[in-house]
Amino acid sequence: MTVGFHRVFVANRGEVAARIARTCDRLGVTPVFGVSEADASAPWVQGREVVRLGPARAAQSYLDLERVVQAAVQARCSALHPGWGFLAENVRFAALCEQHGVTFVGPPVSAMQLMGKKTPAKRAMGLAGLSLIPGSDGILADADDAERVAREVGYPVLLKAESGGGGRGMRIARSESEIRAAFEDASAEALACFADDRVYLEKLIEKGRHVEVQLLADRYGNVVHLGERDCSVQRNHQKLIEESPAPGLSPDELARTLAAAVRACQQIGYVGAGTMEFLLDEGGTLRFMEMNTRLQVEHCVSEARSGLDLVELQLQAAAGQPLRVTQDDVRLDGHAIECRINAEDPEQGWKPSPGVLTRFDLPAQVPGAVRVDTHVEAGYEVPPFYDSLLCKVIAKGPDRDAACDTLIDALSRMKVEGVATTIPMHLAILADADFRAHRYDTRAIPGWEA
Amino acid sequence: MSDALEALLVVVDGRATLAAPRPGLWRDGPPEGALVRAGTSLGALEVLGRQLPLVAPRGAFGVVTELPDGRHFARRPVDFGARLMVLDPEGIAGAATLEAGAADADASGPVFRTPLGGRFYARPSPDDPVFVKPGDTLKGGETVALIEVMKTFNRVRYDGEPATVVRVVPADGVDLVAGDVLLALE
Repeated sequence: MTVGFHRVFVANRGEVAARIARTCDRLGVTPVFGVSEADASAPWVQGREVVRLGPARAAQSYLDLERVVQAAVQARCSALHPGWGFLAENVRFAALCEQHGVTFVGPPVSAMQLMGKKTPAKRAMGLAGLSLIPGSDGILADADDAERVAREVGYPVLLKAESGGGGRGMRIARSESEIRAAFEDASAEALACFADDRVYLEKLIEKGRHVEVQLLADRYGNVVHLGERDCSVQRNHQKLIEESPAPGLSPDELARTLAAAVRACQQIGYVGAGTMEFLLDEGGTLRFMEMNTRLQVEHCVSEARSGLDLVELQLQAAAGQPLRVTQDDVRLDGHAIECRINAEDPEQGWKPSPGVLTRFDLPAQVPGAVRVDTHVEAGYEVPPFYDSLLCKVIAKGPDRDAACDTLIDALSRMKVEGVATTIPMHLAILADADFRAHRYDTRAIPGWEA
Repeated sequence: MSDALEALLVVVDGRATLAAPRPGLWRDGPPEGALVRAGTSLGALEVLGRQLPLVAPRGAFGVVTELPDGRHFARRPVDFGARLMVLDPEGIAGAATLEAGAADADASGPVFRTPLGGRFYARPSPDDPVFVKPGDTLKGGETVALIEVMKTFNRVRYDGEPATVVRVVPADGVDLVAGDVLLALE
């Protein structure tokens, strides 16, 4: 059975563009790449159909809604895959695609809109039975309201901008003496950054772990989950290592959350692949943070455990086909772990390290054990315009220690010269005793201080 | 028009190529042989159903050559940097150099234009000094150039207000069309 599209526009670059093309090739779908001038002869578009969008600057190429949609239309593509980042969660972009007859490979605009707003998303998820981070019921009216709610939930608390993102418009208050100033500051910064001074309040959970649930839905109300992923090894909210199953999570709490997440997807009319992110608090409760309405970088971890191809399932759902797997068909086995290799120098405060890859030797791919996803090769010049992801290495084993050992072995066979990479940091983390014993949270990187 | 798009200008070896500034469907472009200079309409670029006027950018000057190969589509899909046409500054008798065209478009002060087209000579005969040079003061009535038209030499007399010559724009011996700038003045 075919997927339903003949030509799919790839509205992204780099690793995710190469990833989407791999599934398109397997399914007999022609991918057409929208590229900036800087990427016009990049390795992942060699011998491919491309439409040049504009100059290297993303604002005039990958982020320009009209250029991208026009390019998809004139390339006669009936669907568009947004990948991750860039325009993947832009509601106007999804609407513009649909308006011009290009199927957006993602959820309906209504679900994107709902999950893109902080307090409506929280309310909808609460109604479906997911645990929430205690806090205000929606937007705070004023500083008095903030003080009242903070007293109810207990300090420390976090004030967050309704339209916020990227850590802006956020303030922590640790006691009643700080709450008024925190409210005023968060509100003022939110107004300056997002032209929206509305803020809400949540209890601050400091020693949390980041756990997320991979979901898939079709247009007919069928929803399955592909289990959870733990992404607690982070730096400044940037994930470094992702794995599944999540260590140190009670089976009852996981089962309860998975069932509620599936129910929530049905209730909001979600379609396609999506991820709900949770904070695992010290009491062992998973509390909803946000939903990413797109494919995620770490989707390969769930693919390794389930044996499913998430891009294929996304395309099928977008084409209006019913899900071909039921929850009973989804078998999650073993332990999978992924690390992101970035062109950054972890010894120098993760300074970006663009330049020419004079050597790029990858470890051998071993079906069922080692997978390497990349879009680059020796001789490639890592441009300074975009993100620093070079490749992802995913290892699988019967248990966590076996998966970690396989990953260490694969990483130590990888040889990269010309740019600095995060490989040494990953090797240190994977061998670290605290990491192996799950003694860490999102605040610090186990086994690495820099 | 606020929606007008400027084509991209790429100059290689004095040959100016005009290229599309973004993806779109290009239509109603100028025919081969048409004269294009800054601001000349190059047709329209259709973007998501809207027709955005497309014009030649500053510095563009020449005759349209090398239109895209193949059939003339009513609407041709182009992407960023796609070649629309090559401009040949010497493609017709009387065309000035690319630089002269650019200077014409950029001229900020008063200029004196040739009233007739033909080959421009800056001096009465090869061994004589030039008629005018930068810094000369013109009162009116002076001969400033010879224009050769069909083997006939015509004296071009300055007939404007008193002024000082800033620059003699065309190089000696190039072909001009009527209306091309001879002198930049102040």
